[in-house]
Amino acid sequence: MAAAQKLSELLNEIDATIYNRFAGKTFWIKAEITDVKKYADKRWCFLKFIEKEGNMVCAEMKGVFWSNTYHHVENFEKETQQPFASGLEITCNVRVRFHKRFGLDLEVLAIDFAYVIGKMEIERKQTLERLVKENEGILLLSNGNFSTINNRLQLPTILQRIALVTAPNSDGQRDFKEVIQKNKYGYAFEVKEFLTQVQGDSAAMLILQQLENIKQLQGQFDVVVMVRGGGSDTDFKSFNSFELSDYVASFPLPILTGIGHDRNTSIVDLMARQHKTPTEVATFIIDKNMCFEKDMLQLKERFFAAVKSLVETAQNKLAYNARIVKSSSPKTILNKGFAIVMHNSKIVTDPALIHETDEVQVILRDEILHSIITKKEINETDTEF
Amino acid sequence: MKPTLSFDKAFSELEKLVEQIEDENIQLDSLAYKVKQANELIKYCETRLRNISDDIENEKTNN
Repeated sequence: MAAAQKLSELLNEIDATIYNRFAGKTFWIKAEITDVKKYADKRWCFLKFIEKEGNMVCAEMKGVFWSNTYHHVENFEKETQQPFASGLEITCNVRVRFHKRFGLDLEVLAIDFAYVIGKMEIERKQTLERLVKENEGILLLSNGNFSTINNRLQLPTILQRIALVTAPNSDGQRDFKEVIQKNKYGYAFEVKEFLTQVQGDSAAMLILQQLENIKQLQGQFDVVVMVRGGGSDTDFKSFNSFELSDYVASFPLPILTGIGHDRNTSIVDLMARQHKTPTEVATFIIDKNMCFEKDMLQLKERFFAAVKSLVETAQNKLAYNARIVKSSSPKTILNKGFAIVMHNSKIVTDPALIHETDEVQVILRDEILHSIITKKEINETDTEF
Repeated sequence: MKPTLSFDKAFSELEKLVEQIEDENIQLDSLAYKVKQANELIKYCETRLRNISDDIENEKTNN
């Protein structure tokens, strides 16, 4: 075996080779940018240049703007009215640099503003056109809004059993669950997680697979929630995939998205029901349940008010009838000074049944007068009592 | 209360009871029963909102 050399010696050789080939030269390249990290305070910007074959990344290289060229980033944003962010395909002037510790990268010296439309935006437009074309009559576009089988599904009255599609240990997962679990109304929820990668080339297919798993168990869920935290536009890309968007558009359970992007709406958002953030999705679910409970409590109030009114009406009727009964009782009549005439133990109501010499009892309030009829005559007086 | 009663069904039954009670021709004999029914429906919904009920668990086990 040949004598081993130090790492630094090898790297010096690489450095010298690169220097000899690239020193003093600049190159115009066209590439998509991703993982863009801007440090406005230091006026640095780190990124990656990528090139794809189909959907697969076939070339990748680190890139950097230092403070002396950072103004190109600011100018780009000012001129194009769009953020210098992942997903854009740009044309720029670079030089090759090698550092023994930090490796190889391309230092950006200038950007060609004429090439400003990001490849992702073009892909996005094409995907939307294809979705409409391949789902003719089902996927409808009206006033910029897409009406799909999925977002036309009626939401259940109560959303309680939730299939959560999210990345493990992500901000989106944490935010959604925290709001749901700590809801101030004490509503119970059952959240079953379907964890998946949400960024990277295979993310769209992995999310789709989890949706397929949910479909197998659809009777167990009221709703699907798809969330992720904030991130770059490239991270957002899986939610613009044709296959995933197409699957979401006709998914048989309502899907609420909280994909967490302030500026853009993904195609999946358009196919489902969009909420801006995971927290907003959770709040929407809680509020929906709260509205139901509120309606129910209003009904309860109406019910018991009607019961109270019904009982009061019945009580009033009863009291009235009791007064009538009381005022017609013999005792009340005797108290008023009237008398009851009895003959052969029966109250006399027909004077024709009484004859002279008959014995009758005249009942007063405090005494009974045993009497013999000595004379009968017609009452022709018009006595007012 | 039936364990599989949906929130929608419970709500519409409660609505029906309210309509019946608001109808002045209701037989007072049935009032106590209707109050009991309404209370049960309300309690059922309140409980289900705050507890994952057994029928959900059962449904899962059966699947």
